[in-house]
Amino acid sequence: MSDASLHRPGAARSARPASYRKPTEETPAARTALILLTVSGLAILVFAPLIVVFTEALADGWAAAIESLGNRDAQSAIRLTLTITAIAMPLNAVFGIAAAWLITKFDFRGKAFLITLIDLPFSVSPVVAGLCIVLLFGANSLIGGWLVAHDLPIVFAIPGIVLATVFVTFPFVARELIPVMTEQGRAEEEAALTLGASGWRVFHTVTLPNIRWALLYGTLLCTARAMGEFGAVAVVSGKIRGQTATMPITIEMLYNEYLSVAAFSMAALLTGFALLTLLLKTALELRHADALAANHRH
Amino acid sequence: MPGLGLSAGITLTMLSIVVLLPIGALLMQGAQFGLANIWDTVHRERVWAALFLSFRMALFAALFNLVFGVLLAWVLVRYRFPGRRIIDAAVDLPFALPTAVAGIALTALYAPNGVFGSLAQQIGWKIAYTQWGIFLALVFVGLPFVTRTVQPVIEEIDPEVEEASATLGASRSHTLRHVILPMLTPAALTGFALALARAVGEYGSVIFIAGNIPLRTEIAPLLIVIQLEEFNYDAAGAIGIAMLLMSFAMLLVINLIQIFSRKRIGHV
Repeated sequence: MSDASLHRPGAARSARPASYRKPTEETPAARTALILLTVSGLAILVFAPLIVVFTEALADGWAAAIESLGNRDAQSAIRLTLTITAIAMPLNAVFGIAAAWLITKFDFRGKAFLITLIDLPFSVSPVVAGLCIVLLFGANSLIGGWLVAHDLPIVFAIPGIVLATVFVTFPFVARELIPVMTEQGRAEEEAALTLGASGWRVFHTVTLPNIRWALLYGTLLCTARAMGEFGAVAVVSGKIRGQTATMPITIEMLYNEYLSVAAFSMAALLTGFALLTLLLKTALELRHADALAANHRH
Repeated sequence: MPGLGLSAGITLTMLSIVVLLPIGALLMQGAQFGLANIWDTVHRERVWAALFLSFRMALFAALFNLVFGVLLAWVLVRYRFPGRRIIDAAVDLPFALPTAVAGIALTALYAPNGVFGSLAQQIGWKIAYTQWGIFLALVFVGLPFVTRTVQPVIEEIDPEVEEASATLGASRSHTLRHVILPMLTPAALTGFALALARAVGEYGSVIFIAGNIPLRTEIAPLLIVIQLEEFNYDAAGAIGIAMLLMSFAMLLVINLIQIFSRKRIGHV
């Protein structure tokens, strides 16, 4: 970064606006270099993988790609992933609202510890999360043995996949709601209560309108992660084709069988879902920035 | 305020079933297996190499993301250029893109017959199926953390601070190094720690590109999966506990950084 122009006497007074630079800005050369560096870095690291998903999927043409998504196992994987996401999403929303209400509307000891516990899943490896669920509910554990005996298996079955998905997406909604609700304080709810509204009515008519965009934002993050979760699900699902193989698991199985077009076609479909959530999330950031947690406003 | 019982009930029940009881089951398994046995398992050459590899590669990737993330945040907040909005939205792609998809896409690009892989091959640089591949995958998954924590802080910097520094005769680079950078440090470190925690446990994006050669490119989470496939729950649990301890240590560091920087700067 050259600062020569800053020290040149009379540089700021010179009549050439093209060479004039505010002393609080970098030189044009430095700016251009930084923009090129970061944009090309992102192009190599992020855009290239995104593009290659689609080019590999279409390597044998559209017909082959679409056909590979049409068979029974692929259809079952798509249905399973959508089902799991549809179950995990409301569970996380309910938990997030309850946790945020508890944390922001009441004062109690150990609040910081509770928040740490809620954030815990973010710092646990998804594979370790899956391992924990296998150890708790697996056929040779106490609880798992009883459940299997009563024909309610959790591990290597859909409940286990739901549990693993909820684990890895656990903090998303709560983390979005807590800062927003902290900022809004309790005054509006207290006013409504004084006026005789019931607790549910206060939540429904006062709190919910204030937090709906943040709730939607957290739910979107949760959805994106739930659809794509691999590590935790890989451990608990048992990878039974047509039964417990989600879309990411199916991608792995197809890829390991050298069925590149089929693997990348499934990946392209999943990428499509991911891009959709990203698009909605960006739209929220642009249109409802003031209703989101402060770190999403830009 | 109503709803204490209900909200506490839902929160604690779900927290227990989803998070606390499963983690408790892991710790119980470890307690039954015994500390000495856990240590023996972790100390086996293959396990030790995998744990060390996971941590070392995560550290390198997080360091890369620390530097790149701060630069990217600066460019996105301070500079105006065509396509800035798209670039800004694309920063979140690694969060949105499923890890398995990222894994096979990176492998397709950097394998010896891939677009970038064949270029690297010409100068004798092998990326996929080496530790470089692991590094690349971990850079990918950790990319957004630092940028997203630093961006809001740059937005809030009062322009008067830079103006004051300039009027007092500081060169631009001096201002950047001694005025701006200290303000960004706490947020950057938080982002760094988050990226590190994420990378240590990362599985999906790594296993496709790593090659998974024992002692060389085999990461710790994969070792857990292998032990589970052999129904060796004790060994899987032991490695799991070692990884959990690593995560807790990092969580502690994140919190200490935040407490420390709140005291010094006033906010993060």
